[in-house]
Amino acid sequence: MIAQRLRFKTSSPTQFVDITEKLREEVRKSGLRMGRIHLQSLHTTVGLAVNENEPLLLRDFESLLERLAPTGVGYEHDDFARRFKIALDEPINGHAHCRQLLLTGFATLLVENGDLVLGRWQSVFAVELDGPRTRELAIQLDGDFDKAPSPLAGEVARSAGGDAHASTAADRKLVELELTRQLLADPDPVAVPMRRLVEAGGKRLRPRLVQLTAHIGPRHDPLRAAALAAAVELLHNATLIHDDYVDESTHRRGRPTVAAAEGPERAIAVGDFYFAKATRLIAEIGNNDVTSTIADALEAICAAQIDDVGLRGAYPGDHASYLKVVRGKTAALFAASCASGAQLSEAKADEVEALRRYGDLLGVAFQMADDMVDFSPNSGKPVGLDIRQRVLSLPLIYAAEDKEVGPEVRRLLAGSLGDAEVNRVTELVRSSDALKRVGDEARALVEGALRELEAIELDGLRPTLVGLARSAVDRDS
Amino acid sequence: MTAQALQIDRELERLDGLWEDGLQDTYKSYMDFVGAYEPAERPRLALAAALIESGLRLQGLGGPAAAAAPLLMGDLCLARASRLLADHASQTLQVAFARAIEKMSANAASGEAGGPVRDFLVLALESGR
Repeated sequence: MIAQRLRFKTSSPTQFVDITEKLREEVRKSGLRMGRIHLQSLHTTVGLAVNENEPLLLRDFESLLERLAPTGVGYEHDDFARRFKIALDEPINGHAHCRQLLLTGFATLLVENGDLVLGRWQSVFAVELDGPRTRELAIQLDGDFDKAPSPLAGEVARSAGGDAHASTAADRKLVELELTRQLLADPDPVAVPMRRLVEAGGKRLRPRLVQLTAHIGPRHDPLRAAALAAAVELLHNATLIHDDYVDESTHRRGRPTVAAAEGPERAIAVGDFYFAKATRLIAEIGNNDVTSTIADALEAICAAQIDDVGLRGAYPGDHASYLKVVRGKTAALFAASCASGAQLSEAKADEVEALRRYGDLLGVAFQMADDMVDFSPNSGKPVGLDIRQRVLSLPLIYAAEDKEVGPEVRRLLAGSLGDAEVNRVTELVRSSDALKRVGDEARALVEGALRELEAIELDGLRPTLVGLARSAVDRDS
Repeated sequence: MTAQALQIDRELERLDGLWEDGLQDTYKSYMDFVGAYEPAERPRLALAAALIESGLRLQGLGGPAAAAAPLLMGDLCLARASRLLADHASQTLQVAFARAIEKMSANAASGEAGGPVRDFLVLALESGR
């Protein structure tokens, strides 16, 4: 059993204060999984109600209270001459006490799976009848709690706070904790290889985009955002596991790929498991728009992967084919991450679409920058890996189109690619203006992405989204 | 009967070869298990189940690994099914299908014979009502 107080300030004589989210947060912080939350007003002029939070309806309720117990019609309670032991600041509030009699001073709400059980239109109100004042409700939570106090509680509070820097750091910690928690629950034959991939790092750009855009709408919920962000990261990793098998890659993030370490059969099973688990986690969040957004992206990724393999016969391909594949393989999940975070926070439709476009442009720019890294000696990865694996790459496309180096690049790519050929192609690409063209194009896309943000109210998040977009392009690794 | 007549042809984009190559029969089999759902939902739910079964078969889940091309086609089948469920199924059914795939792939990863795919998916259809 946990007992505490919920304090709030009111600003009007009569006011319906929606405390639903505050109660949800108390349930989450407490770790209560199945049970009840009991509320009791500690005032004789504050009532409780469960009803719809629709502004006109709330005015109807206010009118109803006024009709049933009007102000200033001569309540005996307000006749101070006939009362004794009256406080100096005793208000004239007979009407408020009578109105409270029509409401209730206590309520019990059910909690299942760590959340309040409420119907679609139900909100919980503390009803101020004699405001404005500072008020207090007593709360008790009882039932089955998580065994240990939630380690997320502090991060949730920081994530929900107004400090953008602290909030971003807390968001990152939340998603790591959520990934760890999810992987602990899975059977070892699938969890161990996925844990190795997750623990090897990665930029976590997609979960960051989910969490950042989940701040934009009016309903920011750090835990739900972290759950969605972790599911998106698991989905991304599931696609990488299958991609690595298809591309015959031996290493990812400096560690052996699942296919290389444990064989293709295990890689297929691990990819399928986390594909399914991620879609389940997203479905369980219970937001249809979010579920559809991610499902559309997943379909685009799979279709683009087929196109990508199909294009390898015409390697290195052309700019149009490149864009088509990259929009599906990379940008679709960037765009979906941005849109789904905003949808989760119930952002406006035009904001969701602007963020979707921001993610799409950023995703294409990110992939172009990734292609350039293959030619950088400072990346920490073997130079020319994309060439060796015949992976679609814009610098190679531009070098193959180049008047001077193009014929030799095309001739080399048409044959078998040993060390000497890969080194020569790398040299030719570096000597052409291909890398500069790709860099300019990626930076122009980022500027386009940033223009999409101009119409959106981003509060303190603009510098973070701008910095994230620019750093996605200006990098060596 | 053609996919067009069944009004699911739009859902078969890029998968048309598969329809003639067994997906149609699998779809018809699942139509026998969706009778408890609303008539308008039945074709898409049966198709989602058929896509999952065909996708897992293409990938070779639980057996020798498929080559790259069928693996990717299997991935597309699973993704298409996931999107169909996201757009047309209840949350309960989406979760039931996902859990069925989790169970089958965990069995495959641990080398256990888990039983026919259809049994898992029919159970999901029954529990997702």
